[in-house]
Amino acid sequence: MTWIWIVLAPLLGGLIYGGERVLRARMQRRQGPPLLQPFYDMFKLLDKRTLILHAPHALLAVAHFFVLWFTVAAIFLGWNLIYIIFLHLFAQILLILAGYSVRSVYSHLGANRELLMVVAYEPVLILVAVGFYLISGSFEITTILQGDGYWHQLPLLFVALLIIVPIKVKKSPFDIGEAHQEIVGGIEIEYSGVFYEFLYMSRFLEYLFIYSFVFLFGGESYWLGAVLVAGVFLLVNLVDNATARVHAADMVKIVYGFAMSFAIINILGVLL
Amino acid sequence: MKFFTPFRKKSPWILHYNAGSCNGCDIEILAALGPKFDLERFGVINTGNPKQSDIFLVTGPVTYRSRERLVELYTQIPEPKVVVAVGSCTTTGGVFRGMYNVEDGIDRYIPVDVYIPGCASSPQLIIDALVKAGEILESKSKAIEKPFKLFGAIETIGNKLSRLNMAKKVHDDED
Ligand code: SF4
Repeated sequence: MTWIWIVLAPLLGGLIYGGERVLRARMQRRQGPPLLQPFYDMFKLLDKRTLILHAPHALLAVAHFFVLWFTVAAIFLGWNLIYIIFLHLFAQILLILAGYSVRSVYSHLGANRELLMVVAYEPVLILVAVGFYLISGSFEITTILQGDGYWHQLPLLFVALLIIVPIKVKKSPFDIGEAHQEIVGGIEIEYSGVFYEFLYMSRFLEYLFIYSFVFLFGGESYWLGAVLVAGVFLLVNLVDNATARVHAADMVKIVYGFAMSFAIINILGVLL
Repeated sequence: MKFFTPFRKKSPWILHYNAGSCNGCDIEILAALGPKFDLERFGVINTGNPKQSDIFLVTGPVTYRSRERLVELYTQIPEPKVVVAVGSCTTTGGVFRGMYNVEDGIDRYIPVDVYIPGCASSPQLIIDALVKAGEILESKSKAIEKPFKLFGAIETIGNKLSRLNMAKKVHDDED
């Protein structure tokens, strides 16, 4: 059963992404694209002529996608949380290498910003994992999911996670890595056709990755987890529609200033 | 592949380029993309990146300054691609026709598939044109399409690449 979910993970992520596009359109009083729009885009991209700069650049995108898929599979299988976070870091590093491997200025800028984003959210993710460990006594997701709700014991960690969700799903105010109006997608810029499709699909998997962290706060009650995910999903899109992009350096300041201190205060509170 | 062809029409991603227009038509394009006319319900995204676009929306008569970039952007769009000329001045030169610093329309440089009349053309016409462009996109093959002329650096590089070499040949035949 789990294996079926793992195989279907990109499709599930695609549905979430499609739903989000509709939701954002409705928030702006537009009709919005159909729910299956991401799949139409994927099929269209398969049918385009592909321009490749050089082979490693194209292959790194494919590797990024598959490592990310493996990460999501590890989450579904209930493996070690720390292991999952570092697998995800590995996937990000492949992407950043791809960004630096071409001579395009925008690609370099995008890679720089992607690196900044990793620097910003990675410590918070690890602190969230530490928080789960302190309460449940294990880093294993299967054990964590047996605890009875973390959200009353780790409220500030939840807020910290809430601050970094927009970074991971590339939403305002923290969509600096993509920043379509200034650096035209950053790392994505030199990709086309099939290889762009891999980056497009890896975005779906990012959704699954970060929202599964939110889901873990529900503990053994899956309903609470689902409600938390839905609430965060709505909130993130609301904030995305209502705010502008912050400066890249300011993002790091905000995340280190607020998210990190919230997380540390909460962990100290649990420890003492 | 046959199976994927119908999906071209469902997600036409556009690249918008201003080849020296008065900005009237650009504003109409933005209006068509905005909440009232909402082009996104057809799956249209304004990508701003030629490598990921299907439809090339050009406004403005081609000024001497912009023609090089126009051709360069056109060659960077992977096939199948469709060019839409938005507004009278893009199709024929319009109010700028005969001026000393502009060409009369973009079809001297790149093949155009859909022409939109009007100065400025209305969002309704633009939506109509994009729907038409989607149909044309569906009927096209993945064969390489070439601009009529090349310039400067891209011409020098282009001579070395088979992709652009063909464009050079077309150009030579004309002379
Ligand atoms: S057609 Fe008219 S309104 Fe449109 S860009 Fe040309 S001059 Fe401006």
